[in-house]
Amino acid sequence: MNHHEQILKVEGLNVYYGTTHAVQNVSFDVKRGEIFGLLGPNGAGKTSTLSAIEGLLNYHSGSISVAGHNNREKPLHAKAALGVQLQSTSFQPELTILEILQLYAGIYGLSLGKAELMNKLHDIKLADAANKKFGQLSGGQQQRVSLVIATIHTPQLVLLDEPTTGLDPQSRRQLWERIEGIREKGHGVLLTTHSMEEAQSVCDRIGIIDHGKVIEVNTPEALIEKHRNEPEVIRVSRKGRITLEDVFIALTGTEIRS
Amino acid sequence: MEINIPKSSTVFSSLLRADFTTQWRNRRSAVLALLVPIIILISWKGVIKLFGGAFVLSSAIALGLVAIGLMGYSNSVARDRDKGIFQRLRVAPIPGWAIMISRLTVQLTMILLVTLCVFITGYYVDGIHLSAVGYLLTVISALVGGAVYLSLGQMIVGLIKNPETVNSTSRLVYFAFIITGMLGGLGVLGDQAKEIAKWSPYGTVQTMLAGSLQPDLWHNETTMALLVTLGYTLIFAFMGIKKFKWNTR
Repeated sequence: MNHHEQILKVEGLNVYYGTTHAVQNVSFDVKRGEIFGLLGPNGAGKTSTLSAIEGLLNYHSGSISVAGHNNREKPLHAKAALGVQLQSTSFQPELTILEILQLYAGIYGLSLGKAELMNKLHDIKLADAANKKFGQLSGGQQQRVSLVIATIHTPQLVLLDEPTTGLDPQSRRQLWERIEGIREKGHGVLLTTHSMEEAQSVCDRIGIIDHGKVIEVNTPEALIEKHRNEPEVIRVSRKGRITLEDVFIALTGTEIRS
Repeated sequence: MEINIPKSSTVFSSLLRADFTTQWRNRRSAVLALLVPIIILISWKGVIKLFGGAFVLSSAIALGLVAIGLMGYSNSVARDRDKGIFQRLRVAPIPGWAIMISRLTVQLTMILLVTLCVFITGYYVDGIHLSAVGYLLTVISALVGGAVYLSLGQMIVGLIKNPETVNSTSRLVYFAFIITGMLGGLGVLGDQAKEIAKWSPYGTVQTMLAGSLQPDLWHNETTMALLVTLGYTLIFAFMGIKKFKWNTR
């Protein structure tokens, strides 16, 4: 397995909403066996970038290639190589967890029997909840189900949009381990998060996006090292220790975004 | 890198199974769509002598079709769109049309079910007997008529994003159809209202259904009603598809 192989390549991406230039010439890549974090304040262009990769919105210009397939020229191929956990994932409320798994297995062309699907639920400690509806699960359980569905077809790239929002520390840690497990299997992972702790703990590389532009791409350690002596970083730092959050705030500003 | 695209048949059968299961779990609303035509058939027993069995049967079927197309289809699409269910499906390798065709297949099955129930009730309760050709033509007309209400439902969810507004609008249109269609069609609201009702989406479907129930009495006006129904369907479907957004953001 080539761990330098690009599993996602975004080049010169531009997204407009009317006259608003929401994503401006964004370029980055995600390699096989890598967790790449896309960080940015609210409205920075993270979700628009992710939506363009997922094929949910028409971008103005640029190119997006997933596992070697341009998502405009071969949208179904690109989508088949993707596993996605959306920010506010919802499934048909009338269906049980097992039925939802059956649906998505079928959609990805997998012929998984009930026993194999139950094994998947067993792996995420939800075998007992097989006949429950999605809405009856706790937030952490819902995220585990969403993640198992996102990876049901062993995709080459997994997109996770703020996967740990609203989770308690235990559930968050457990989810981090699962995300790292995805990386160990050689998949590429692209995640967005507002948690700098998460980005620092889980991501191999980070891209910071603001006002629709990628302003930095590097490892968390290299980002801290590069900016640690800048006056703005020192000014915003707390408790005398420079963290990724200090660098992030110094780069993106202190004002609250809507 | 080799990527396997799932077969369309596998994808479609998975979607259909999920949509039929959803419909089954929501059977209370399906029962309501069945109940209105059945109530009409039972309560209008006396009207048969005045207006004929074909009028009563076609009114009952037409109302069932309106309930399915407007209340059933548009509300379920509006709700699933609002909850992000479509967005989750669309990130999978499925063409958008497959998602909608699966939904429509379930609704067309419901239309067949309503038509069948009306036939059975009409036969046993009201003693309305039709020829085999009449039954067959009516089923076809019900599907054509159902299409106009499904496309109207599509237009409503195309133009309106908020699920509650979709719900109230579809109810409003449903009751408008009942009032102008049934009362107007009977002439209770005057001659002008009767003429408007006759060429409304409710009236043309009813005329078409009545003509199908008695194929011997199919005349130019019935053909005209069929053409107008198809015209309505095309306009509503065009608007509904053109304006439709998969998410509410």
